Amino acid sequence: MSLDVQLLDPVEFLQPNRRLLIDTNIFMDPDSRRAGGLKRLFERGQGVILTNSNPIVVPTKVIGELTKQSRRDPSREAEERTKVAIQKAGTALTFLEDASKVGLVRKDLGDDSNPYADDLFLRIFERFASTYEMCLLTRDITIKLRIRLLAHRLDKRLLTGVLTKDGDLEIESDQSLFDRGLRKYTLHASNVAEGNGNFKDRSEVASLEPLLEQFRQAFDLQDSEVNAGDRSPKTSAPRNSRRTPKAQPFSSTATIKPRDAVLNFSSLPKERDRVSWESATKSGTLLLGALLGEGGEGSVYQGDRNTVVKIFDKEHVTRHRKEKVELLVRSGIQAKGLCIPSALVRNAAGDFVGYVMPKATGREARTIFNIRKLEKDFPTWNKSDLVDICISFLEQVHLLHSMNIILGDINPKNLMIDARKNVFIIDADSWQLEGYPCPVGTPMYTSPAMLGKTYADDLRTMEDELFAVATMLFQIVMTGQFPYMRTGTDGDMVQLIKEGNFAFQYENRNNKDQPDGDWKFIWSHIHKPVKDLFWHTFHREGKRYKKRPTAAEWLDAFKAYKAYLANKRLNFDPMSNDVRPIRNKAFRPDTPIEDCATCGRRHAIAGIWNDDDTQYFVPRQCNKCRDAQPFRPSAGRPTIARGATPATAACKDCGKRFPRAQLTYSRCPACTTKANSLDTNRLCVDCRQPFITYDHIGWFQSRFLDVPKSHSAIKQTCSTAPRPTSTKPSTPPQVGFWTRFKKWLQGN
Amino acid sequence: MATLSIGADDLVDNPTPRVPVSLCLDTSGSMGGSPIEELVRGVNLFYDAIDEDDDAHDSAEINIVEFNSSAGLVHDFASIERLQRISSLTANGATAMGAGVNLALDTLDRRKATYSGSGVLYYQPWLVLMTDGAPTDNIDLAVQRVVDLVEAKKLTVFPIGIGSRADMNTLARFSPNRPPLRLDGLKFKEFFEWLSKSVARVSRSTPGDTVKLDLEGLAGWAEL
Repeated sequence: MSLDVQLLDPVEFLQPNRRLLIDTNIFMDPDSRRAGGLKRLFERGQGVILTNSNPIVVPTKVIGELTKQSRRDPSREAEERTKVAIQKAGTALTFLEDASKVGLVRKDLGDDSNPYADDLFLRIFERFASTYEMCLLTRDITIKLRIRLLAHRLDKRLLTGVLTKDGDLEIESDQSLFDRGLRKYTLHASNVAEGNGNFKDRSEVASLEPLLEQFRQAFDLQDSEVNAGDRSPKTSAPRNSRRTPKAQPFSSTATIKPRDAVLNFSSLPKERDRVSWESATKSGTLLLGALLGEGGEGSVYQGDRNTVVKIFDKEHVTRHRKEKVELLVRSGIQAKGLCIPSALVRNAAGDFVGYVMPKATGREARTIFNIRKLEKDFPTWNKSDLVDICISFLEQVHLLHSMNIILGDINPKNLMIDARKNVFIIDADSWQLEGYPCPVGTPMYTSPAMLGKTYADDLRTMEDELFAVATMLFQIVMTGQFPYMRTGTDGDMVQLIKEGNFAFQYENRNNKDQPDGDWKFIWSHIHKPVKDLFWHTFHREGKRYKKRPTAAEWLDAFKAYKAYLANKRLNFDPMSNDVRPIRNKAFRPDTPIEDCATCGRRHAIAGIWNDDDTQYFVPRQCNKCRDAQPFRPSAGRPTIARGATPATAACKDCGKRFPRAQLTYSRCPACTTKANSLDTNRLCVDCRQPFITYDHIGWFQSRFLDVPKSHSAIKQTCSTAPRPTSTKPSTPPQVGFWTRFKKWLQGN
Repeated sequence: MATLSIGADDLVDNPTPRVPVSLCLDTSGSMGGSPIEELVRGVNLFYDAIDEDDDAHDSAEINIVEFNSSAGLVHDFASIERLQRISSLTANGATAMGAGVNLALDTLDRRKATYSGSGVLYYQPWLVLMTDGAPTDNIDLAVQRVVDLVEAKKLTVFPIGIGSRADMNTLARFSPNRPPLRLDGLKFKEFFEWLSKSVARVSRSTPGDTVKLDLEGLAGWAEL
């Protein structure tokens, strides 16, 4: 689906020979994913508008429609949606009034003789096509089709689209426009066919039918092979609507259904087999396309261009799955990214075997849980992109929760992420709804209360679900770390979750168990309100440990995180937008931040506040470069003689040239260190501890002698001292190190 | 311990849970000739397969313990990126299987302690024990340790007999849950292919999940 739209900067239409116009429906857009787009556009475009005296055009017809809408009495409207719409219209009018006063908007153009604003736009575009390049912001598919056709006929640059929340112009491909037009047509046509059609249905059918035919011919488009369930009226809301008005939530109080049972069927279809499908209102047949993948429950085949077909394997053709698929097909819930069944699929004998669903694109979420894969697949991403992923995930989850659907088995294999940061949720047949349990689960995402229960025999509570949601969010923003990871565990996942010992540093709690590596730095940069929610959710002493944040709460927190990252004043540490910061967040806005002179990494060094002399100390190297050195400076930094070029010699081990003064027995400092350390791959046969140095091994090998195998063979005695359980190198306490480093700098 | 800190960065910065696999291999004199050559080829093929698998690449950590007249570590645990392919193993001496298994268990314990000390998630380890004969040392302690760990679900063990002279009764003592397997001829390649697929399958799961091993896949190279 990502290829179906193209992004442009609408500001280009504010140049003198171009025009930008806005339709009523843009101001009334209920889609929160686009919220703020207009504001962004005006922010970015105001300079250009004023320089060129080329205000954005909002015709009188649009102003009239907004005024009419805003004058309705909200207290007399039953539907929440209508109340919101009334309010939105009022807000838009106020905004347009202000914007027109400062010259950003023209709202005095128009001709009120035609009752429909759509026709007005078409007339404007026809009339001025040879004068200006024009762009109309609108959500209406009919006018989009008309203007695309007009541009094609006149061979002029006339565009239509909507704004993203970043204020970019989103333009659909010909095929995508056509597909949506077809769906709109089907929706109205079926209302008419069922005898429920009103005037609007009839007029849409009358205008769309010839329009779509012209469009198809002009752009040489094909009806997609399958007119499958995804086209069916009930599941075919326009893409930018969250769901159709008909979608009704499932029961919130259903009790668990009787146990699941395998259904009888004659055979499972394979590639190129013909199967029949049945959507909410239609049915037909289709050929299974290429096998795209095999999972734990079945195989997925290509359907038509935007759909896939899941065929269950023999153990998973069950009564629960069939009834759940039927419920979801009929539900009418649809939103981009939710791979909800759109039609039930039967084999040639008429037995239930699977379902049709929208195709997910992108990579499994595991990709962003692994720095190597993340850097390879999404090299340009920074923290705000990961925050966008969280927001996109939360919007999907929020919608499902509002329908009383519990996803149940939230895990990184059931989320797909594409380069445009769309999140797809798959595996809808495992969702818990209407008393059908989610029969599968993943321990890492299972709440303490649910651990130990059998997934298939118990209904999950919303609290169980919100534990999984919180864990997933933590892992996305922390690039894969598990919230309960800490040092000193034996890796028992169930135990870690049950303990509720969230080890990441929070406020004044001094937790020594944070995992090694950059994780503490990554955590230190997370926006405080999000950190608060994480800590209170995961730590057994937290306020939200038993009453976990809802998807809506997280959504607010992550939107605030996003705004924070974009706010240069509040977000004073540029490293906070790195995917994986390598140092703690800067202390205050006045903290000196420098690039690392050794490795060149940007903003890699932040000053360290020293309370004793009340000033910042700025280290010379970043943490990475410091750690990469075999020895800390205090242990004797190699010095290079100044003045004349020193006489050099090659190190006998590595062959690189070094000043003679640095060589010890013809070895450079690094090789000397290695030569004197014990080979951990060779263990004494008696005590099973490392016992022999590399230097010593080399001595035997250079003489073609067998390397001894025990302490006694090299005239040493086995050490009986207990071996430390951890092999990590001991790190001197940081304060001590800096103090010594400073002394060293000052020559003491 | 300077040599261990080299790998510390990928150990801690990769949050992927690890699967430590210890290959505990018989290199006694009777393995000389084609068995040891096929074994080396099989091990290297195992490394290549792990390297190529997207998931196992980040999860698997492998070491090799050999036993002949005594036990020794051929190389310690490392991620596949840091592993050199082995060029050869030398077959000579007796069959100190008890010492070999004890050493392998010790190295696994140490590795788990490293994970634990650094805060890295891991799956319970795997021990692959391969022999073509019978032990020449006392194996009672080693057997007891293995059985205790397997019963506590802290170890998965694969005892493999090579050729007709492998002492299957001894191997059976190391495998409380399933009978040991005798390799069909010198089908090391097939065995290690199966092993790499199984490691990959575990890598794709989450620690704590029950992973079903594809025991049907064993049919190609082993007789049960």
